[in-house]
This record gives sequence, structure tokens and C-alpha cells, in this order.
Amino acid sequence: MPELKHGFKIDPAKCEGRMYCMRACPTHAIRVKSGRAHLIPDLCIDCGSCLGVCPSRAISATTISLADLNRFKFKVAVASPALYSQFGLNDTPAQVGRALLNLGFDAVWEYAVDIELVDRAITDVVKKWPGPFPLISDSCPVVVRLIQVAYPSLVDQLLPTEVPREIAGRDVKRRYSQDLGLRPEEVAAIYITPCQAKSISILQPAEEVKSYLDGAIGISEIYNDILFRLRKDTKTLLSDIPEGLADSGDLFHWANPEGEFPNLSREHYLPLTGLTDIMKVFDDVERGRLSNIEFLECHACLGGCLGGNLTVENLYAARSKALHLKANMPSPPPEFENEVARRYATEDFSMRSSIKPRSMAKDVLDLRERVMRRKRAEDILKGLPLLNCGLCGAPSCKDHADDVAQARTEISDCVFLSKARIDQLRKIYKKGPRSSRG
Amino acid sequence: MTAELLRESYHIQGRNFDKAGEISSEIKVILKDLELDAGCIRRVVIVAFEAEMNVVMYADRGTLTLILTDRDISLEVVDEGPGIPDIDLAMKEGYSTASDEMREMGFGFGMGLPNMKKNSDEFCVESEVGKGTSVFARIRLDADA
Repeated sequence: MPELKHGFKIDPAKCEGRMYCMRACPTHAIRVKSGRAHLIPDLCIDCGSCLGVCPSRAISATTISLADLNRFKFKVAVASPALYSQFGLNDTPAQVGRALLNLGFDAVWEYAVDIELVDRAITDVVKKWPGPFPLISDSCPVVVRLIQVAYPSLVDQLLPTEVPREIAGRDVKRRYSQDLGLRPEEVAAIYITPCQAKSISILQPAEEVKSYLDGAIGISEIYNDILFRLRKDTKTLLSDIPEGLADSGDLFHWANPEGEFPNLSREHYLPLTGLTDIMKVFDDVERGRLSNIEFLECHACLGGCLGGNLTVENLYAARSKALHLKANMPSPPPEFENEVARRYATEDFSMRSSIKPRSMAKDVLDLRERVMRRKRAEDILKGLPLLNCGLCGAPSCKDHADDVAQARTEISDCVFLSKARIDQLRKIYKKGPRSSRG
Repeated sequence: MTAELLRESYHIQGRNFDKAGEISSEIKVILKDLELDAGCIRRVVIVAFEAEMNVVMYADRGTLTLILTDRDISLEVVDEGPGIPDIDLAMKEGYSTASDEMREMGFGFGMGLPNMKKNSDEFCVESEVGKGTSVFARIRLDADA
């Protein structure tokens, strides 16, 4: 398996080693040694929990910027529905769409169609699925990676259906290269993303194929530009660009965790948001419970994609706006229904390749040695204070014991076992900004 | 003769639904730590969970022992419970003696023992009415092979 790319980077020049990220990481993938945070790449699932908590703003998402798009001849925006709930109550999706065009995109894709298509495909798959149940949604890349890393036995329960943004990317390339006589690689399909995780899923899809999309721009990256155009530049936005399907209320399915699969029966379908709750439910699934549930729709961010870490508006305000927009939308026009029907009959929505458990940096140890290592870790843990203070640079005493047993670090990093460690920490963390330190 | 690499015993408290499932969760953590095959872990966890639930539902107390060798994992579950009068009947899918209360909690659909057998490579039950039940399950490490 190729080395894993991650959706964010830690800037060592900015990192002050304050351990907020280490404590926030749900998979215990961060260590802070010598006053700097670093990642154990195999354990990271790109959830972005570390991104928002860093007090030094040292962690940033690897998304692309508008300037990166100049190499393409034709640029198409595939906007997450979450985008439309970020602005004022009276800013319509059509206006936001026009602002995207004004910003330099050549077209805004009618993404609602792809969302509806995948909705139908999923409903079909669930009906025909022979088991094991429940099926688990694959639209949130963090959930997919969580399963690959921590619940490998559940990979066969991931939906075998391609996600809507990939379906959109595929058709963007096909349609515009045909219509404009361009090569597919000259057409850019750019996802406007509510989180860095989807950006990384484009760089390196979990099923190890090449993404149809060419990159992702974070909502927060273009928020100000769009807001400016909505407020100051209303003339251009009211120009006679034809209104597309962007006015359809169906645009909002995907961002709304409750509304993703309206065709599945309520009692057999659980929508889950937030990693902690998702992990609790996955634990139950692994024990063989919940097999009466057909489908788990899982979004790692609390509140679903509207709560993504590259959104700007607070989740609850955004949700209220999404509901408001939905309530005021006309029902989908016949063109929408026709387009969905046409494409559903001709396209394949199955995933191109199956998702496999992520093989950890498998050490060459045989089982006997692994058992020994585990016993060693248990013995080491007995000598630690179990306070999880984190001063050794690992998030918990158990992680420190495991690190020592795997020879990743020295046991003497524990301040309870070594006075030298306290002196060392005092030197690293002496008061004042890092620039004034020796 | 294969060498025993690891042996862990756990006490199961009967009628404690609140804690039910904790032992199988702990076993899962151990087996994941040991980087065993995902399919094998899944089977062991299902068997351990069903066994744990049976003790919690019917017995006063019990013990679950996990034994790892370089070829397989064995689970031995011994309880002090009412015993099973007719084991063949108990092994039938859908047969259940669970109370309505247990069913309301989502347990006791008569799938426990059959499900354990389905997920084991070797499986046997011994029981004496009024004394208790012992269940033995063996799962090979190369589950999919």
C-alpha cells in the first residue's frame, strides 16, 4: 500500500507543543516530543479534530486555492450543499452559484442530480443486499478510514456504491470534454468542500483508484470572496446567466444528516453523527448486534457536513438556514426528474474497487513475539501513574506503554519516573513566545 | 501439541445487563493489539459476546477463558446457572426460553447458541440441569483460509 497522504499538515515553525491536538485526536495518532507535535501516519483517519483546537494555528488543511486552477482550460465547481447554508437567509443558491462563476469558475455543476442518483442507487443496493447487515454509508471519508484502521472486520459492510461527488466528477469530465472538444484532463472538476477529509479522499481515495475530481477548495477559503460578491456586487449577480437546477430544493439532501436517504424505512435506518457515537455503534455492530438495522448513515462531524471543519457559519445557524432554504424551494422541475431518469438508466454507480483494511506498518514479528510485546506493554503500564497527564508526549499512559513496548520511545519520558524529563520540559516550555526562546 | 501463548480469564456477573458486552470488547482490544486477522477477530468477538449474554441472561455467575495458541483461539465459558435440559433443542435456530423482558431488551431470539456454532470451527456444549453449562469454542487464526 502506498504511503498515506494526509489532509492537513503541522507547521513545525508554528507548533508550540501545547498538546491540544494530541488530546483531541480520537485515534491517538499524535505525539508531542521535544515540544513539537508529530503524527503516526498509520493511525490518522483525517477527521480534522486537531485542526480546530490548535491554539498556535500550526495545523492547516491541504486544500487547493483558486490560483492553482489556472492550468485548466475549463473549471467546473461541484459545490457541497453545505456551501449554500453559509450565507444570509435571503441569499439563494442561485446567487451563490453566480458568485462562483464570477469568482472564475466556468460552470457550476447541477450537483443535486448526482445526489439524487446516488440516493436511488443506494436504495436499490440496500434492497438487494444479502448481508451482513447493517450496511454503512461511505460518503464520509473519515468514517471509511476509521473502519479501515479500527474496525477492519466491517469493511465488507461499507456500501459498494460510489459517492455522489465522484459521480459528479465523472460526468463533469465526460460532458464538458464532449461539448467543448477538450481533453478530459483540460476540464477541472473542483469540489467545494466542507472539510479537509474530502480533500484527502480526492488526493488518495480509500479504494486506491484515481479520483474523478481534480481537487477541493475549502468553503472557508472562498467564503469572503463569495460574501463580497453577494453584498457589494449584486449587479453582476443579477445578470442574465440562465438559472439552472441549482434552484431545486433537492440540493440540500446531502448536507442534512437526516435527509440523505428518504426512501429507506425509518426503523431500519440509523443516521449517526459525531465520531464518539459512531464508534459506540460500530462496537455493537462488531459484536453482532444491530443486524436488524439495514443501514447506518455515518458522518464524523457532529451535525453532519454542515458541521465540517472548513465551514464558516455555526452549525445550528447553518442548519436553520438549510431548513429555511428547503422550505422555500419550489418542487424539482420536470427537467430535473428527466435528467435523473436519463442518467440513472445509463450510468454505473458501483464502486470501482473494493475498500480493504489498511494494513498497519506490519512488523515482521511473529505471533509469539507480538504476544511478548503485549505482555511487555502490560508490565510497563503497571509502573505508570495512569493519570494520562500527557507530559511524556503520548495522550495516555497506555499509549506510552505501547510506544515503549514497540521501542518508539523511552520509558523515562514519563515525568513520574524521571526528574530529567521535568527539567527538559521546563526548558522547552519556559514562558513566553517561542521566538524569544534560546 | 501447540504451545499456549496467552491465557486470560474473566468473571461474568449474571443478570448485569449494564456491563454486558464489556468482556467481548476487551477481548477485541487484545486481539487487535496482536494484529490478528480481522475475520478471525470478528468471529471470536461474536462468539464471546453471545456467550457472555447467555451467562448474563440465565446464570448467577460464570467465567470466560480465552486461550491463544499459534494456530487458534479457544473460548471456554463455564457458568453456574439452571443448565440446559435438551441441548439439541437449544441448538435450533429460533428456539428460546428467554422471558418477555429479555426480548424487550433485544435479546433472547433463539440465535445465541446457533450463532456461536456458526462462527466457530469447533463447538460443543455440556450441561447439567440445576448445576450449570459449559461451552467450548475453537476458532482458527486463519479464518478465511
